[in-house]
Amino acid sequence: MKGAELVLKVLQQQGVDTIFGYPGGAIMPIYDAIYHSTVKHYLCRHEQGGAFSAIGYARASGKVGVCLATSGPGATNLITSLADALLDSVPLVAITGQVSQAVMGTDAFQEVDVLGLSLGVTKHSFMVRDVNELAHTLQEAFRLAQSGRPGPVLVDIPKDIQLAEVSEPEWPTLPAARLATSLANAAKARQLIAQAKKPIAYIGGGVQMADALPQLQAFLAESEMPSVTTLKGMGSVARANPHYLGMLGMHGTQAANLAVQQCDLLICLGARFDDRVTGKLDKFAPHAKVIHVDIDPAEINKVRFADCALLGDMKQILPAISTATQCADWLTHCQQLKQQYGWRYDHPGERIFAPLMLKQLSERMPDNSVVCCDVGQHQMWVAQHMRFNSPRNHLSSGGLGTMGFGLPAAIGAKLARPQDTVIAVSGDGSFMMNVQELGTIKRFRLPVKIVIIDNQRLGMVKQWQQLFFNERYSETDLSDNPDFVALAAAFAIPGHTITRKDEVASALEAMFSWPGPYLLHVRIDEKDNVWPLVPPGAANEDMLTETN
Amino acid sequence: MQHTLNITTRNEASVVERLLQVTRYRGYQLAGLAMTPLTDRAGLQITLTVQSEKPITLLTSQLVKLYDVQQLELASADVAVLRA
Ligand SMILES: Cc1ncc(C[n+]2csc(CCOP(=O)(O)OP(=O)(O)O)c2C)c(N)n1
Ligand SMILES: [Mg+2]
Repeated sequence: MKGAELVLKVLQQQGVDTIFGYPGGAIMPIYDAIYHSTVKHYLCRHEQGGAFSAIGYARASGKVGVCLATSGPGATNLITSLADALLDSVPLVAITGQVSQAVMGTDAFQEVDVLGLSLGVTKHSFMVRDVNELAHTLQEAFRLAQSGRPGPVLVDIPKDIQLAEVSEPEWPTLPAARLATSLANAAKARQLIAQAKKPIAYIGGGVQMADALPQLQAFLAESEMPSVTTLKGMGSVARANPHYLGMLGMHGTQAANLAVQQCDLLICLGARFDDRVTGKLDKFAPHAKVIHVDIDPAEINKVRFADCALLGDMKQILPAISTATQCADWLTHCQQLKQQYGWRYDHPGERIFAPLMLKQLSERMPDNSVVCCDVGQHQMWVAQHMRFNSPRNHLSSGGLGTMGFGLPAAIGAKLARPQDTVIAVSGDGSFMMNVQELGTIKRFRLPVKIVIIDNQRLGMVKQWQQLFFNERYSETDLSDNPDFVALAAAFAIPGHTITRKDEVASALEAMFSWPGPYLLHVRIDEKDNVWPLVPPGAANEDMLTETN
Repeated sequence: MQHTLNITTRNEASVVERLLQVTRYRGYQLAGLAMTPLTDRAGLQITLTVQSEKPITLLTSQLVKLYDVQQLELASADVAVLRA
């Protein structure tokens, strides 16, 4: 068989049945093999979109996402998505065609140094130089993408390798990735927890990625303590848990931020002290000792010193550090914070208030719906006002904060979980960044629900201009937006525009009862901002609210 | 502070670039670099000298994550094998 056919064989052997991509000269042999393959290929309309769909697929399902692109411009179009997957630790395998080895290094047509470009945006990248190494290299790419801290792996395959004859290799069963877990510090951690008067659990995306949500609930139940989550950790704590305080950080809840600032023990579980979480680092949780549990040794002491670190499998570590606490006063105090600073949804006037609208959406959407976000104010409102029962149901571009993520991620999520409702919540700015993927939705008749929160602004940037740049609104006006409903109609997607609060309930009803894709265009006041907000350089207790 | 790292890697064309990319990105200044293939040509022996006020473990913990890095030891005052 040819190398190209072997690529498809390896994908099948890895259990891959869904791939996303876009063809071109240097990857044509692989597309020729796809023609006869049972692996289902979804044609995106831009390689960035295809790779975001693969990321959405991976994040919604826990499987590896796979995307394909041709050499040169196809491969460069992948770069943003690879960076997104790297910063959010998403298992992704990207396969790129490369020009033939005979012309490599001559600035051949559509030749670009993809391996060189990949260095800063992948966990690892391979260039296949010998067709006899092709199968093993691809297997290794899949193993690497999923092992330890997951991430994107790129395999660049020159065209002559795709065309070369190769015999089907023996399929060695690779040993399952061995995960070294050290429980040496478990006793110390238990002691710190037992002695703490004000402990708090700070939960990141790593807990769910380790498949340790049941162990987390058990830990929080036994060591009864308050908890907060990062953007990626949202949905980790069971809804029934009374001590959950919400998201922390720049747009976190006041209760979460104040409790973390006051705590004497911070138990960081699969999180990495990102600057959007900590605010001013040397004022973050200033009284706290830190227990840091992670799979990546490089995260320990990277930005915050850990008094006690445990490395390895969260599933084993959580039961090992679980112990009873004596902190009834602290729990009461945190409850008071939660009550004192609860969300308020009263909002004068007839116009739609996005936080309330998203709360209504959250209450109305079917259980286990997947919400895919874009980036900006609407993204933060989703995180604040919608509730999720798993991080797999809230796909938001966290580390890279990539506008244009939401729509293609929703496509991938819908293909991963066809039985579940998938909703893309986008902004008028972000939506236009991968709007071409409406073509993918149209072709495959994917019943994705699209909600555009339209403030006719690059709202998040506008908010910063208002607060920190003396109201100089440089290049953030989008009041000449296209007619979004007409745009959807061009892709045979029905839609509807709403502007008033009293239209929300029936509009949501109409969207959910329609069997196919649907676009709901929600006009809001451009003056609405996201609160609270920790200004850049400030400590997390110094949150700005609408009233100050 | 100057630190010298003795690194054994796979013999892959991109290895040196990868080491240098991580070193630069993590904010360590390159002060010296030497590379020789191992006698069987299966691997490379690389000596990397860097300069920084930051703790060297913040660099070594990132370098040992590189797929091609097989062994890394710190050859300064406190010789510590970080990965066997
Ligand atoms: C690709 C990319 N370019 C620029 C930015 C910077 N940025 C962050 S939020 C934002 C505004 C987003 O506007 P919109 O999608 O309308 O969301 P809104 O804040 O108005 O809800 C911009 C430009 C980004 N995050 N990603
Ligand atoms: Mg907007």
